[in-house]
Amino acid sequence: MNQPRILIFACKWCGFIGADAAGKKRTSLPSQFRIIPVECASLVETDAILRALAGGIDGIAVLGCHIGGCRYNNANHTAIKRLELLQDLLDTTGIGRSRLLLSFGTAHEDYQFEEIIKNFFDELILLPPLDPWLSPFGVIS
Amino acid sequence: MMLEKTKDIARQILEEKKAGGVFGLMKNEWNIIQPHLFEDPAELANLVLEPKWLLAKLAMRILRSSPENYKLAVICRGCDERALIELIKRNQIEKENLLTVGIACSQEQAAICLCERPYPEKLDAGEKVSGVDPFQDERVQKFLTGNDKERMERWADMLKRCIKCYGCRNACPICICDPCKLEDDVWVQRGVVPTETVTFHLIRAFHLSDTCVACGACQEACPVNIPLLYLQLSMRKTLREKYGYEAGIDPETRSPVLSSVFEKPDTDREYPAWINSLGEKDES
Amino acid sequence: MANISVFLCKCFGEIDNTVDFDFLRKELSKNPSIVLISTVDSLCLETDIEKTVSRIKESNSEKVLIAACSILSRGNLVVESLIKEGIERHKIGLVDIREGCAWIHGDDPAGVTKKAKDLINIGIAALQHKELSDDMSVTVHPNALIIGAGPAGLAAAISLAKTRFKVNILERSKAPGGMLRLISRCYPGNEDASNKLEPYIREVENNPLITFYPQSKIASIEGDTGNFTVHFSSQEKDSSIKSGVIIIATGAKIFFPTGLYGYGEIKNVITQMEFERQILNGSLETKKPVFIQCVGARDKKRPYCSTICCPISLKNASRIAEDVPGASVFILHRGIMTPGNTLEKYYRDTLASGVQFIRFEEEHPPRIIGSDHVESVEVYDAITGITRKIETDLVVLSTPLVPNNDNAQLAKMMDIEVDRYGFFSEIYPMHPLETKTDGIFICGSARWPVSSDNSILQGKAAAMKAVSYLRQSKITASTLSRVPGLKAGHARVVTESCTGCGNCVAACPFNACHLEKMEGRYISVVNMMKCKACGSCVSVCPNGSVQIPEHNYRMVGEMIKMAF
Repeated sequence: MNQPRILIFACKWCGFIGADAAGKKRTSLPSQFRIIPVECASLVETDAILRALAGGIDGIAVLGCHIGGCRYNNANHTAIKRLELLQDLLDTTGIGRSRLLLSFGTAHEDYQFEEIIKNFFDELILLPPLDPWLSPFGVIS
Repeated sequence: MMLEKTKDIARQILEEKKAGGVFGLMKNEWNIIQPHLFEDPAELANLVLEPKWLLAKLAMRILRSSPENYKLAVICRGCDERALIELIKRNQIEKENLLTVGIACSQEQAAICLCERPYPEKLDAGEKVSGVDPFQDERVQKFLTGNDKERMERWADMLKRCIKCYGCRNACPICICDPCKLEDDVWVQRGVVPTETVTFHLIRAFHLSDTCVACGACQEACPVNIPLLYLQLSMRKTLREKYGYEAGIDPETRSPVLSSVFEKPDTDREYPAWINSLGEKDES
Repeated sequence: MANISVFLCKCFGEIDNTVDFDFLRKELSKNPSIVLISTVDSLCLETDIEKTVSRIKESNSEKVLIAACSILSRGNLVVESLIKEGIERHKIGLVDIREGCAWIHGDDPAGVTKKAKDLINIGIAALQHKELSDDMSVTVHPNALIIGAGPAGLAAAISLAKTRFKVNILERSKAPGGMLRLISRCYPGNEDASNKLEPYIREVENNPLITFYPQSKIASIEGDTGNFTVHFSSQEKDSSIKSGVIIIATGAKIFFPTGLYGYGEIKNVITQMEFERQILNGSLETKKPVFIQCVGARDKKRPYCSTICCPISLKNASRIAEDVPGASVFILHRGIMTPGNTLEKYYRDTLASGVQFIRFEEEHPPRIIGSDHVESVEVYDAITGITRKIETDLVVLSTPLVPNNDNAQLAKMMDIEVDRYGFFSEIYPMHPLETKTDGIFICGSARWPVSSDNSILQGKAAAMKAVSYLRQSKITASTLSRVPGLKAGHARVVTESCTGCGNCVAACPFNACHLEKMEGRYISVVNMMKCKACGSCVSVCPNGSVQIPEHNYRMVGEMIKMAF
């Protein structure tokens, strides 16, 4: 089976730094992930997550700062509440909450980032394919 | 009985000029039922209460196109009242301009709607009946149980029927945005059917996650019978269990999804008088 | 679509050894909006930057995309040097194909090349749709307002006056000095409080730059960073002051433990502050005092340590032990808190002066024996396990400092926050003394219980932070960032489509959004001086009416489409 595709929304104060450090360490991770750095996890629109899932991306990860450590006065706490609610919707429809990885305060360091992404790849590979859900148009090739 | 009482209340409102009009349902001369703005007490003879017809959005339009201090009374069921409260919360209706005449739903209606609260908070006519637990219903269980794969197939099959008539959005009493995100190519490709179901339906469902009043208008409007209400059930349950929040109950309480941790400081302490003026050494 | 020129940095083989640049060039040349694809050895070299700039100027490109290293390595320097050469910041895109691509998957050349192509495409999509935020600036009123004339407020005022800024001090009571006026000596130097206070009060009275408003009460505060207007009454006269910054030095209150240890019922059970007052009055007569620590602190209701009560007890206990012949002094404690070298020495000196320490546990608090006059104290010694009975003529309860009653109200006026106990809270541990609103600082016990020395220190520190605002004649919203560099932008509301639902107002962690009534409906308005571009509003807006132009939804949508 093909390697799953992962899209990562990484807060530029945490997850992005972890990813960068992992790169500096010259780790070898599977290449099928892309990072979109965001100012804060609270900037991640749930619509964008759904858009990406519809486009054929298998898993979305939102990496933010730990609760209480947000640069923006606990904005990430609001985000985690909202994204957890989205996980419920994904569960209802059988997409499964595990396709949306929420990780707050756990990807500051290179090894943490590595571990999170590796585990996420391993987890996604076991999930049933999203084919029934794929958008008939605009599937990302 | 309930009808007569409602008529009395409506007549009283009009006669005492508490409101400029009472908004409800009317049976017209061709025996067709339609929403009607009763401004003359004589018309009230034609007032009816059935069927369930959500008037919140229309009431909002009436209030918007009326002069600023125009007051409107709305004959509303539980779901309609909750929708009106959500619209107040979202600043679409001025609280002072709205009067509600709450009527209770019958047990049969509650069962049809899978309604957890088949009565308004402010009940004026009719008897409260107990709510239905939607998770106990077979129809719901069909969609919410089973493993991920089964559910995914069931929902995908169901949503594939969508002809993208936007009926669910238009019928929803709380969908008020113009333009709507569902009309934007970035999120949902326009002009094509079958729909991009993940984006169209899940974006719609999630936008209403903390505002949905479970009226079922979307589902009733759907020409291909997609059970859209069931999408909301687990999110509503989470909001209730985790944060004790339910949409449409209190116009002052905003959704917990909008706020972060907040703890109120307690300031109920008493101090002797001399400490209130620090530095007054000679005072005792 | 704007014309874009793409520069691929080889990084001297670090990138092009794994990424197939020929393939990249071939793929990228399919994109009609790319007018120039150029490869350079290393953009760290000045010569290469010059070459790049001249190529950009020769080509008809409007925007530049640099594919090089991460912004956290040298990418930022590359962007900065291009800006220096006259290219605008929002027209430069930076894509990281070294750390995030060539290095992180070094063993997968095919995957790396594909990823590099995708990353560049994402970068192009972002660059095409990126917009520029609006900005605004405010003229700074070059004077400071200090609320509270305790040691922290006075120290801040004098420091600011030394830097030639005008200072206005509002004080609740008649005279300056705060809690220092209530006590006799200060720890750890045992300095006379009035001696310590005297130079400050003299300076406040004589310095023409400092205006003191006694008996004042704040009615309301409006305005933003650099331009606050404070309406208040002083000695029953209403007035208002415009001010560039506000320093909150309102201090804290003493807790009176009614009901605990018979306080309020039994004579001779007093609080530490009443003990100080008796010393000042000269009415203190005791030979056998017992000090009880952590009264109303470090319990369920007030789990915090007030930090000042242990040193105060040490101060007063050793004073009695040294001054009164034949005195027997006990301190009943739950662990003596004396951090730092000075306070630890203070503790050892007190031990040497003959004060006896008994440790008790929260579950077994000491018992006061006596009905209207205290006779003795019974305490279960946690170390020896023996219950001891101590004869005493005075029980002194060490109570914590608690926040002022009106903190929450004052905080609301200024859009700042109080913590769960009611003390003013800082924005984030990495920004001491700063609050949610730029230009408002907190110091002294308003922030957390501290000693007079620490209050003075914090007051001075807050003053220096305030100077960094006051010395600017104009403050631009985009520079109001607490971290190095510029803000990501400011939220922008599309007035036509805003429904006025107020989600953004509820979600904004900085209270930067508010609703305004316009043509019969509400719309959201963003205050750029407060907006920090976190995007909380963006993700809760139901129809995308509020956007961060630098990270707008169209851009995100296109980036996702280009991701694989």
